[in-house]
Amino acid sequence: MSNVIDGAGNATNAPAAAAKTMIAVERINSYYGDSHVLFDVSMAVREREVVALLGRNGAGKSTTLKTLAGVIHPRSGTIRFEGAAIESLAAHAIARLGLQLVPEERRIFGGLTVDENLELAAFSAPDALPLGEIFAIFPRLRERRGSYGRSLSGGEQQMLAIARALVRRPRLILLDEPFEGLAVNIVQNLLDVCRALVAAGQTIVIVEQNVRAALSLASRAYVLNNGHMVFEGTADELQASPDVMNRYLGV
Amino acid sequence: MSMADGRRLARWVPELAMAAALVALPFGFDAWLGSVDLFTRILIWGIFGLGFDLLFGRTGLLSFGQAAFYGTGGFVTAYLLTGNVLDNVWLAMAVGVIAATLFSVFVGFLALRRIGIYFAMITLAFGELSYFLENSPLSNWTGGENGLPGVPAPTIDLAGLHYSFAGSWPSYQLVAGFYFLGFLFARSVVLSPVGAVLTAIRQNPERAAALGHDIGAYKLAVFVLAAVFAGCGGALLGIFQSYMPPDAFALDTSGQLVIQTVIGGAGTLIGPTVGAAIWLLLRDVLQQVPAIGDLWKFILGFVFVALVTFLPNGIVGAVMRWMAQLWPRHAAGAGGTRHVDAAAREALLAPLRAKTAPGAAPHFALEARDVRKAYGGIRAVDGVSLALAEGAFHAIIGPNGAGKSTFLRLLKREETVDSGKIILHGADITAADVTAAYQYGLAKSYQINQLFPQLTVRQNLRIGALGRQRGRWRLDVFRGAESFAKVEAVVAALLEELDLTACADLVVNTLPYGEKRRLELGLALASQPSVLLLDEPLAGLSPSEREGVKQLIRKLSEGRTILLVEHDMDAVFELAERITVLHEGRVLAEGTPKEISNDPLVREAYLGGLAP
Amino acid sequence: MPTLAQFLSQAFNGLAFGSLLALIASGLSIILGTLGVLNFAHGAMFMLGAYTAFVVLGHWDSFAGALALGALVLLSVGWATERGLIRYYYSRPKEDQILVTFGLGIMMVEAVRYFFGGLSQRVPLPSWGQGIVNLGFFIYPLYRVEAIGIVALLLLGFYLLLYRTRIGLVVRAGIEDPLMVELLGTHVRRAFLAVFCIGAMAAGIAGVIYAPLAAVIPNMGEPFLVQCFVVVVIGGLGSFPGAIVGGLVVGEILSLTTLFNPAYAQAAIYAVMTLVLIVRPRGLFGTMGRA
Repeated sequence: MSNVIDGAGNATNAPAAAAKTMIAVERINSYYGDSHVLFDVSMAVREREVVALLGRNGAGKSTTLKTLAGVIHPRSGTIRFEGAAIESLAAHAIARLGLQLVPEERRIFGGLTVDENLELAAFSAPDALPLGEIFAIFPRLRERRGSYGRSLSGGEQQMLAIARALVRRPRLILLDEPFEGLAVNIVQNLLDVCRALVAAGQTIVIVEQNVRAALSLASRAYVLNNGHMVFEGTADELQASPDVMNRYLGV
Repeated sequence: MSMADGRRLARWVPELAMAAALVALPFGFDAWLGSVDLFTRILIWGIFGLGFDLLFGRTGLLSFGQAAFYGTGGFVTAYLLTGNVLDNVWLAMAVGVIAATLFSVFVGFLALRRIGIYFAMITLAFGELSYFLENSPLSNWTGGENGLPGVPAPTIDLAGLHYSFAGSWPSYQLVAGFYFLGFLFARSVVLSPVGAVLTAIRQNPERAAALGHDIGAYKLAVFVLAAVFAGCGGALLGIFQSYMPPDAFALDTSGQLVIQTVIGGAGTLIGPTVGAAIWLLLRDVLQQVPAIGDLWKFILGFVFVALVTFLPNGIVGAVMRWMAQLWPRHAAGAGGTRHVDAAAREALLAPLRAKTAPGAAPHFALEARDVRKAYGGIRAVDGVSLALAEGAFHAIIGPNGAGKSTFLRLLKREETVDSGKIILHGADITAADVTAAYQYGLAKSYQINQLFPQLTVRQNLRIGALGRQRGRWRLDVFRGAESFAKVEAVVAALLEELDLTACADLVVNTLPYGEKRRLELGLALASQPSVLLLDEPLAGLSPSEREGVKQLIRKLSEGRTILLVEHDMDAVFELAERITVLHEGRVLAEGTPKEISNDPLVREAYLGGLAP
Repeated sequence: MPTLAQFLSQAFNGLAFGSLLALIASGLSIILGTLGVLNFAHGAMFMLGAYTAFVVLGHWDSFAGALALGALVLLSVGWATERGLIRYYYSRPKEDQILVTFGLGIMMVEAVRYFFGGLSQRVPLPSWGQGIVNLGFFIYPLYRVEAIGIVALLLLGFYLLLYRTRIGLVVRAGIEDPLMVELLGTHVRRAFLAVFCIGAMAAGIAGVIYAPLAAVIPNMGEPFLVQCFVVVVIGGLGSFPGAIVGGLVVGEILSLTTLFNPAYAQAAIYAVMTLVLIVRPRGLFGTMGRA
């Protein structure tokens, strides 16, 4: 019954049950100190899906991703990743299980070269993606291999941040505001890269304030408001509900 | 006897107990050890430690170089007397202490620019420098490795009475006299508004500064005060021993002070004295035990490490905590829970007019003119202009990275602007610092609670109210922190307004989040600001708590100018009269809520796809 | 007015002493940058190295043996310290960390005083280090030249460790952004142990090398601790290049001012430190991460 949109934008009818659930989040409550930020948030992502997590800033989108990645631990609720309960695992352990967060602000190591950034990412990955393939996806990074992270432009840093994640061949990539502060042409470039990844079967959760960009990539969407999940549906369904869009995403 | 009388007497109990101890204990030492000298030595360390406890225990500044001032006081005094420059011992002592004070102003000015690790390193370096100076270049005056022998004791020559403080018991009397005076003074400082501010600086220095206190000045003051005590102790050491030893300047001396303070208990004033007693007694006792002998210092080091790990408040601190559990202080006594009626509350909390009177009649309460701020290559705020009319309720919204938080920080003067102007009630405050902004009536409540976690709610609010009533800097060490009637009245009114009376005397880090958030608002209100900046006041609140805080904000807005940053759009549209939308550091739109919600440009910015 | 020979001789002294300081300060700096801990026991660790040399070189003329044993002793001490105590302090305030390392330093010094006594010990020069060498303009003690060489090699090794190995990469990244290192699957805390041990070994090996040059007494590490702090303030906290440059600068200032007025040599380095604090508080090479 559900429409699955493949990377090329073609709708194919695939039985919903065929795709396995990769990550299932059940009623998590997250706090910063004792500030209650996420209230009984639930969501699920299936294999090979692209899911958008939307909402105004302050809604809790980044907090959700940080909770999934183990940066924050929820006070209640469960997170099952490929069957394993991960809500109490440390961040490095979760990364090793194949869940890779690309944090907002990219967090490139400024004092390390592009090569070293990628090398560090490959350390704990048993079958890391060869650099050749990385540079095939991001030719610009090959040109800048020897440059220090701090001398890269915003767009190059975002490429490097995504490349670092790809090196580890993650089962699931969490992209936190990947297009923030980037020029339109670079955003388009990155979107193309993402589409290619999706076509190759990568599972992605994308948090973005740029709703248009996110929905051009995603097949399903969740919307958060003040820490509560207020909408769940396909990207089409969301775009067809201007009142939802305005109430929770607009002004 | 009334409750208030009881409390007034209770304040003097420690002083009375101390006087009794100083009279009685020496006899015990004399009987047990055959001489009172050890106790005298303990008290000299105690004087040194009273000042250090104000510096480290109360304000949190860990200095490893206090020996510099101990030695300076001692050697200047000793030199003046043994070099036949001065005859009068009291005068020589005074000069010695003044020398230590001047030295500390110099060192403090340099060392206090940094905190934590840097501060410890710099003070240690200066301590070593002074040790070196004593040993070598200045050895003609200091006797170098040999020190200065023959330091005389002071005498009193008054109305026919002649008393010399030479000898074992007279030395004790001299030192005990100074110790008692020092204790009285230190107690007074601790109980004064200065003491309250120092405690606040230890727990949250940035907020203390934002609440109108000149923390740089207070830190320098306590650093100098510690040096005064140190210099006094050094001078007394020379007199007591009739000899001024060079190791008064040594790192060992600074280190011993730190160890004794930690063992005894930092922040208790008598902790360093107790620590000194333990150190000196253990040294004398343990060394006699054949199996231990020279290992006594190792054992003390081990005890020190164990105490830092398990009993960070030291022995006196642990005892005081235990006593507090046995006999909890009655909360009602502190300040009293006066009920403040609504009319009085309004009067008490009405905005205070700014202290700087503007020249021309001001048109706007707060204005920003083409403000810019960049970090590296990123232009966080790129030419934002804003004008708030008196009494207006204005909100700023915008997508992530729009520059809202930075803009608020610039307005509150927490950061300097690169260019542009900020004008409060017609006065240009662009160059003012965060402390001055508070004094002018501009206050901010923070997105993440910035409270003083180990103080009670009442004490937190008092710090805020003291800032406005007392000004940024005052050395009023002889009055009680609770002696400002106006301050106490404002605090009582705030407690009622914020519905915090029930938990007024509970320590903040035991409170639930909702109460803390209201206290956060209260701290901003304590200055009775005319312009109030609210940074995401609803962050982290449950839906029901949100309602409560929204009501509170609506009430606060009467008679006040408010600038609100929020992501809760419902709240923004309910409360604000005008809205400014920021996008990528620039103003995208401004207007009434209706205008903004209908603006296609704003919609595009929020939904994405807007070309930069 | 000093002669050229005297000047060059002192300049070489400055190089010898300065490179030694650079080695000790490098250890202090990476511990500070990675763990955020200011190790007040660092001087005591230097002293432990010197006493190891005293024990070894007093019985066998094996400098290599002294170096190896010194490294081993400090590796064990570093391991025990980090695992047994320091790691419980990472989330405690900086002042507590300073206090506990300060206490540990005292314990180390007093333990050595108990076992070896407080009198100064003499450590013999290794057989290949005795005598003098003619350096053209002036003659100079052979061992000091060799010491410069050994320290240079060790600093090179340190550099290779930091810039050419996995652990070095983790350390450099961890100084900048430990959370991001965790997100990339590497448990940074495990690296803390290695860093602390490496830092301790750097101090200890420096102690071994220094031992034949001066009196070996229990609190010989004290002046080095203070000078290390000056180096780190000048060079910049957490910076390896800063520790090297800072060390050489301090060493040369000490040596060259001694030439003109020995009494003011120490004062000179504090003057420079004061200048740096006023003009450029973050030091020559800035801070990368915690300070």
